[in-house]
This record gives sequence, C-alpha cells and structure tokens, in this order.
Amino acid sequence: MDLVEISITAVGAFISICMFTTLYGKSNPLYALAEESYIGFATGLTVVVNLLYIYRTGILGIQAGDTILIVGIILGIMILTRISKKYSYIARLPLAITIGAQFGLALRTTIFSGFIDQIKGTILPLFNTDMQSMIYNWTIAISVILMLTFFLYTMELKGPLGLGASIGEYIMYICFGAIFAQTFMGRLGLFVGFMQNYTVPPWKIPYLLGSLIIVFGAVMILDKLKLLEKLTPEE
Amino acid sequence: MSEKKGLMRFLAEYDRRIIYLLIFVVVIGPLLSPFILPISVSPDTQAYYNVIDKLGPNDIVMVVFDTEFSGFMELQSGILASMRVMIEKGAKMVIAVSHPEATGIPELVLNQLADVISRKQYTYGKDYVYLGYIFPNEAAVAATAQDFHGAVRQDYYGKSIEGTLLDKVKDWSSWSLISDYTTGIQSQALINHYGLRGTPMIVNCIGVMVATQKPYVSSGIYKALLQSMRGGAELEYLIGVPGPGLTAMNSFTLGHYVLIIFIVLGNIGYFGYTRYKQKPTGG
Repeated sequence: MDLVEISITAVGAFISICMFTTLYGKSNPLYALAEESYIGFATGLTVVVNLLYIYRTGILGIQAGDTILIVGIILGIMILTRISKKYSYIARLPLAITIGAQFGLALRTTIFSGFIDQIKGTILPLFNTDMQSMIYNWTIAISVILMLTFFLYTMELKGPLGLGASIGEYIMYICFGAIFAQTFMGRLGLFVGFMQNYTVPPWKIPYLLGSLIIVFGAVMILDKLKLLEKLTPEE
Repeated sequence: MSEKKGLMRFLAEYDRRIIYLLIFVVVIGPLLSPFILPISVSPDTQAYYNVIDKLGPNDIVMVVFDTEFSGFMELQSGILASMRVMIEKGAKMVIAVSHPEATGIPELVLNQLADVISRKQYTYGKDYVYLGYIFPNEAAVAATAQDFHGAVRQDYYGKSIEGTLLDKVKDWSSWSLISDYTTGIQSQALINHYGLRGTPMIVNCIGVMVATQKPYVSSGIYKALLQSMRGGAELEYLIGVPGPGLTAMNSFTLGHYVLIIFIVLGNIGYFGYTRYKQKPTGG
C-alpha cells in the first residue's frame, strides 16, 4: 500500500460514513458535506466524460469524413440556448428530434422485447420435461392465468371467475413478498459490497472503524448540544 | 398486564436505528473473520457457467459495465469470476461502460485479475481492449450495433482501435457474446439492438432487478442470468476460486435472519399494540 491508496481509503471511508449518518434520522452537517461533495464530484466527472465522448464520437467522426455528425453537433449546441430566457425556444427543436428518435428506436423493438417475447416466455412445456421444470412451468402458467383474471375489468367477477380472481390476488401478494425479499437482498448486497471494500485487505479496517467512531460520535455530540440544525446548511 | 402492554408497545414502536445497528453488526462481524462454507449452486448459475465455459480463443465477448459505482459493489463477485473464466478460456474481451462513474471500474477489475492475466499472457490490444464510456444512450447502442467502427474510433486511453482485435468487429453479428453487468442503465437498449437481432447475451444483475429480468431467460433473449452477489458467489464456488462473493455469504445469511426476526417482532407488536390501539372504543 502506498500513500495514495491510504488517502483514497481514508477519505472514502470518512465520506461514506458521513453519508450513512442519514440513518441517524436527523439532518446534520456531515451528511450535507458528503452529499454536496458527491454532487460536485459526480457533476464534474459527468461533464468531463461526456465532453470526451462528444470529442471521440463527434469531432473525430467529422475529421474522419462522417460529415453528417456536424448536424448532431449543431443540434447539441442549440440545446445550450436553454440557459437564455430569450432564446430558449430554439432548444425545443433538438429536444423534439431527440425524443422522436428515441421514441422511434424504442418503438421498433420494445414491442418485441417488452411484449411478444414476454408472452412467448410464458408459453412453456407443461409435459415431457423433468419433474422440477414441470412444477415450475405449471406454477407459472396457472399463476399468469389467475392473475390476469384479477385484471378483468369489463365483467362482474363472480362464481369460478371471482374465485380465480381472488386466488390471483393472493398470488400477487406472494409475488410482492418475493420482490420485497429480492429488494432487501439487493440493498444488503450493496451494503455488504461496501463493507467488503473497507475490510479487505485488513489494513483498511482501522480507517473504517475510526471514521465510524469519529463521525457518529460527532453527530451525537452535536445532537446533545442541539447544534445539528444550526450547523446544517439549508437545502 | 401493563408489563405485557409495555413490551408490545416497544415491539410496535421501537427505534428503527436499532435495526440499522444490528444489520451493521451482523454484516461486519463475518467480514472481520471470514470463513467460507460450501453453498448450493442454482440451475441459473450452472446455465451461466455453461455459457462462459464454452468460450474459446476465437470468441469475441463484449463486456459491458452497465452500472454506477454503488452497483459495482454488488456485482463485483460475478464480474471477477466471469472475467476470470473468459481469460482462462482465452476468449477476447472488449470492455465498455454505460455510466460516467463506471469508467474507473474496469481498471480496478483488471488489477484484481492481474495473476491470471500475466499467467495466460493476456495482452492489451490483442486479447482485450477497454473502450471506456461508449453507451450514453440507446442511440449510441444502436449505432454500435449497426456500424461499430463508425461509432467508436478510440479506446479509453485515446489510442486508435485500428490494428486491435476490434478489426474483426463490424456490427452486432461480429460478437460471440455480450456479457452485461447491470443495474439497468442500458440493458434494455442492448436487448433491443443486439439481443433481438440474435447476439447471444448473458446478464449479471443486481437483486432488485431479478424478477424483471427472469422473463428474458424464458423468452430466449438471455442465454443465462446470474443473480446478484449470490449468483457471483455460486460462480466463484463453481470455478473453485473464492472471492468477495463467497466471503460475503455469511453476512447475507445473518442479515436475512435479522430481517426475518424483525418482521416477526414487528407483526407481534402490530397485533398486540398498534391494531388494539386503533380499534374504535364505541359508545
């Protein structure tokens, strides 16, 4: 490990723990510091990386003879007129073209990926497969039918249809539970990943624990002294 | 009786910071003294492994870091294990990112794979290329699928991609596989402009996306899906190289136990206090 790596770890651990002070439940200056540092960093990085992208794709493309890209550059510059009250209407044209192009690109394909292929994915072999797949496939097929029954809006759901809709409703609750569990696993995964980053290799641990004690200690002391709100900048 | 009510009230209204503190303790505990237990491998991970295991030196894989830095923490076990297999198999890799924050990730990953890179004499330009941020939006993805060299001219370091392994890449049909590590930024665009045209795709997604990504496996657009860090851990177990995924599994298990316990306690509190309190007194 060198000094650069130590500095990155120390600053990273401190700023990250400052971010975690939001869990304390009260606005505090350390959270504001971390949040605004992140916004500044992310904005700077986004500007630089995107300018580089424009250079590499647009400018180099024009130099290589792809002159149609000049139109793109002009349209891009036109968007910048949004910062002027007087000329902001000019930005509407490139925005309209962007939305139209995006819409066209998505419309051509989303009908397949988001609709037809999803239906195809539900049409599964119910027989002539192994026992486990058969159970999965039957569960999916029955659940889809029952859940769709719940969404029949143009007729009164009574009798077998009503029963099917009720079962479909309960299947949906099970599905919400599964999604909640997946979400928790995902969020825990983000947290575990972060913690791993500051516990492996072990020389990073003192920086993590030190930041934790300093930051939460400072927040608790400021809270006791009733200084949290006073020192936190207004949004 | 009042003691019982006091307990019920506590269970219904305890300070939520207790949960955060306990989650922190159970996550950091196993990480401070890591031990690895064998885990079961799901059919999804096995299918994912089968796809990357079939790769060979003639295959060109587009590796897309379709994530911000926060998502990388959850996906890194899958990324490291997958890329290790690809390098071992001698497959060619072209690395791209779709978020400005991700531009630093590939070098971090390649540093962690330095052992296998040097052992297999995996060379920059001949075996792998890092292109940087080339997928800012769907139009950019569509452009690379149509005419790759028309949309990308330089690598991340500002060097021309002419004379590299990318000479063999023309459009969507040139890729043997797209390996997408995603929090959902451009995965739909990759499906729309590569997957639907027939480029084989495999995906390692974060936990919250699993339910929405599964149907793409059934419909055949994805050849396989690796689920979150759990999938990454299973892949590490399959290839026999323990990494961040396997060491995190104990934290996951304990974290899930804490959640289950608090759900049970919260419900006891709800039925024993909150619901009782909400009942109309009548009169």
